[in-house]
Amino acid sequence: MPSATAANAMPGARFLDPRVLARLDNLELIARTVVEGFINGLHRSPYLGLSLDFAEHRAYIPGDDIRRIDWRLYARTDRFYVKQFEADTNANVSILLDVSRSMSYGREGIPKLDYARILAACLAYFSQKQRDRIGLATFDRDVVEYIPPAAGHFELVLHALDRARAGEPGELRAPLAKLAENYRRRGILILISDFYEEPDAVREAVRRLRNRGNDLIVFHVMDAAELEFPFQDAANFEDLETGTRIPVIPEYVRARYRELVTNHIATLQRMLGEDAVDYTLMNTSTPLDQALFTYLATRERLNRVR
Amino acid sequence: MFGLSFLAPAFLVGLAAILIPVLVHLRHRERSEAVAFPSLMFLQQIPYKTVKRQRIRHWSLLALRCLILALLAAAFARPFFSRAEAGIALDGARDLVILIDRSYSMGYEGRWARAQDAARNVLDGMGRDDRAALVFFSTGAQAASGLTGDVAALRATVDAAEPGAGATRYGPPLELARRLLEASDRARREVVLITDFQRVGWDGQQDVRLPAGVSLTAINVAEGDDAANLSITGVNFDRQTVGGRERVIATARLAYKGTQPLSRVPVTLEVNGIELQTVTVDIAPNSAQAVTFDPFTLSAGESRGIVRAGTDALPPDNRFHFVLSPGQAVSVLVIEADGAAAQRSLYLRRALEIGDRPPFRVDVTRHGTLRADAVAGRDVVVLNDAPFPAGAAGRALIEHVRRGGGLIITLGERSSPASWEGDAAELLPGAFGAPVDGAGRGVTLASLDRNHPIFELFRAPRSGDFTTARVFRYRPLQLAGTDGVLARYDDGAVALAEKRVGRGRVLVWTSTLDNFWTDIALQPVYLPFVHQLARHAAGYAESRPWFTAGQVLDLAATRDSMAFAPGGDEPGTTSEMAEKAAAVTATTLPGLAGGELVVLAPGGTRTTIGGDHPRVLELAEQGFYELRPAGQANAAPYTVAVNLDLAESDLTPIDPQELVAAATAADPGAAVAATAASAGSIEDHERRQAFWRYLLIAALLALAAETALAGRLSRSAS
Repeated sequence: MPSATAANAMPGARFLDPRVLARLDNLELIARTVVEGFINGLHRSPYLGLSLDFAEHRAYIPGDDIRRIDWRLYARTDRFYVKQFEADTNANVSILLDVSRSMSYGREGIPKLDYARILAACLAYFSQKQRDRIGLATFDRDVVEYIPPAAGHFELVLHALDRARAGEPGELRAPLAKLAENYRRRGILILISDFYEEPDAVREAVRRLRNRGNDLIVFHVMDAAELEFPFQDAANFEDLETGTRIPVIPEYVRARYRELVTNHIATLQRMLGEDAVDYTLMNTSTPLDQALFTYLATRERLNRVR
Repeated sequence: MFGLSFLAPAFLVGLAAILIPVLVHLRHRERSEAVAFPSLMFLQQIPYKTVKRQRIRHWSLLALRCLILALLAAAFARPFFSRAEAGIALDGARDLVILIDRSYSMGYEGRWARAQDAARNVLDGMGRDDRAALVFFSTGAQAASGLTGDVAALRATVDAAEPGAGATRYGPPLELARRLLEASDRARREVVLITDFQRVGWDGQQDVRLPAGVSLTAINVAEGDDAANLSITGVNFDRQTVGGRERVIATARLAYKGTQPLSRVPVTLEVNGIELQTVTVDIAPNSAQAVTFDPFTLSAGESRGIVRAGTDALPPDNRFHFVLSPGQAVSVLVIEADGAAAQRSLYLRRALEIGDRPPFRVDVTRHGTLRADAVAGRDVVVLNDAPFPAGAAGRALIEHVRRGGGLIITLGERSSPASWEGDAAELLPGAFGAPVDGAGRGVTLASLDRNHPIFELFRAPRSGDFTTARVFRYRPLQLAGTDGVLARYDDGAVALAEKRVGRGRVLVWTSTLDNFWTDIALQPVYLPFVHQLARHAAGYAESRPWFTAGQVLDLAATRDSMAFAPGGDEPGTTSEMAEKAAAVTATTLPGLAGGELVVLAPGGTRTTIGGDHPRVLELAEQGFYELRPAGQANAAPYTVAVNLDLAESDLTPIDPQELVAAATAADPGAAVAATAASAGSIEDHERRQAFWRYLLIAALLALAAETALAGRLSRSAS
């Protein structure tokens, strides 16, 4: 699959199994571990527009770079503090996370929603590191939670992600249309979903976001079982969102299913590409570094364009 | 032809277990718990019918599992090939001889029905061109049909047949089968023996061999029977004369073969249709017991009696029939010489008068006063040292002998050779001469024909010593040969000689039967010797209370004419009938001599014997035969009681294989098929082949293959 090939080809990346990350409760720690590890592996700093104006001190927490410890303050107080600096914000970054019921599925690795939350946290952390204004919207068939992008909303975003639960059946068009009204200022929108809709419907829904001049990055999260359909035993398959059941003998439908899924992905990629949307397929069994790499590449491209 | 059979076919029900893996596979396919999936968006685009049609996946796994169960079921059913020998023509029409045992032991609960079923099965298995012959056998064998392809008729014969009263003999049917199949020119010849395989039916002495290439299939219908049986082996009668009436004490002998004791078995004595007494007894396992009834008085005519003992699975031998008649006295006329002493016949008369079985009625007369009518009606006439009567008395005496009467001649001083002239001379076995004195202390009886009925009584050791008797004087008897000499003195002279004249007997004692010329009258053997002489001369035979089924009665008028010529050449009979000849019993029936007889068998069938028919009666049924002169329907019948051959009551089985081997081992070098499908041999057969082991090994191998295949499929699934 394309995702696996890209992940394997990525140079200098440190791959952490998402299942290992999922065991950590602290989303910030996860995000930092992934992002810092990712950045350390790069040859040059990815941060852009970083300011050195001191803003405040905060208590050291394990994982902070010890080079940022304020030693003079340590000498006075005998406690570790790190310095934080004010910087100019580069852009509004909003993460639109699909929390429909289908996102709760996970057979091969962790559930898609967990993977998507980690991914969102990593991207939020990364964005926050480079002084972007970070926001979050979760939706299923309606908007579930909306956090407007702002410089101090990183913690809020992490909390919202932590609370996110897959519940209702999902839909793209209505909630995205509603959200598009909120993103009046041009920014970067990151849409994370499993896109169980016809490509035309996806395109129509996504266009509303794109029409405001936003830059749109799409992460298509899928479990390996959805891609490969590795089932052996004949059984009734139940749709997580609608509850519909049909009897299926995997052996006889596998090839056709793979063909349909491959066509679906290819169509999505093609259509979104036509609309200048960055599309990335994320297999939940692949490390998150690939997503960051994609995001970084997009940010670089956007900066150059800008 | 290889016939696959199973020792324990009930286990084949286990084949139904094959449904289990089929259902498991189907069930497996339609698992009830649903598999959650994010969206059926793509699956719903795939046509459902292509899914529905395929119900079972992993056909190879299903086949392996079914095979395992089938192998296990087959192994437990213990299969064997019932006919695996070489040398038998496997193709073409066949000739089949079905031998069905109809001895009375086949009346044992359930055996006859099984035998009929087995015969029907064999008939049903006949091909279109096959022929079969039915042979029923017990003591003898009789073909119910020749070789025929008419299965319907054969089935009807089987349906109509019933067990008889005979005993089992395997020689006759096998011999008959041999004859039938020897005449057959077909390549496939088979004999099916359906019987209960009693050991008494085969003593190994019968020299019966089936032709080479003939297969013998033995079907044991006694399988599963516990063979417990109670039977009456006989009844003894102790007769006493009380007040001129005969009283009889009957003692029945019971034999029980079985492992469980019997309690409170009623034993009943019934005489002339009246139940006289019932005695209740307890019988231990494998034991015999005697039951004595209270005495009863014999009526004037015949008394029919039946002893019954309990009930069991083989009822025929639980009853015993007999016929008793009051004893008939033997009339003896003793003729003395005119000048003889007054008590000359004292010893002889006293000795005879003591006898009670039979009682002798003795009259003594003088030679000179003898009249012709005095001889009439006598059973025995004794010329006790007297010359032959002259005139009408002499002619009457000659006629008496010719018609079957007895004549005993004792030679003494007054026995005149001159008187034996003319027709009288033919009565004597030889001429006798002047008296001879024994040397010194006389001569003794040295040589006796102890096989003769007169001396048969003294055959056992210490049962009578004739050597103690001294004969001081005798008259030498000159015989033409040695025939008829029954006893000799130690000097070689004839002591006792016999001659048959007409239907009567003449016995010549060459000395006196008192203490004048000999002291034999003072010896212990005198009394039985004189009784035997008189009985033999009178042709006396005790009436037998019963006969045995299978015996043949020769009802010829006299014993001399008794001869039996078995119909060995008659269709359906065998030379084994010659064995019957040994069982032929001569019977003289009072009042039934000569003419036709109407015989009413126990089963109610009425036949006529005598006249143009042989005067021979084969006793084939158990019960009472009634014989009447033809045309005298109201006459009192002469009754013959017939009981079963007690040997048949012994249900001890023989190994069918032993019988099969003996009957088919004619040519050891030839390929002879001998297959026993009976219980004992089946187990041996199956044990020898032991196919179940191979099936079990195959099942284990299949199980290992199934494990490997299932593991592989499971791994590929995950």
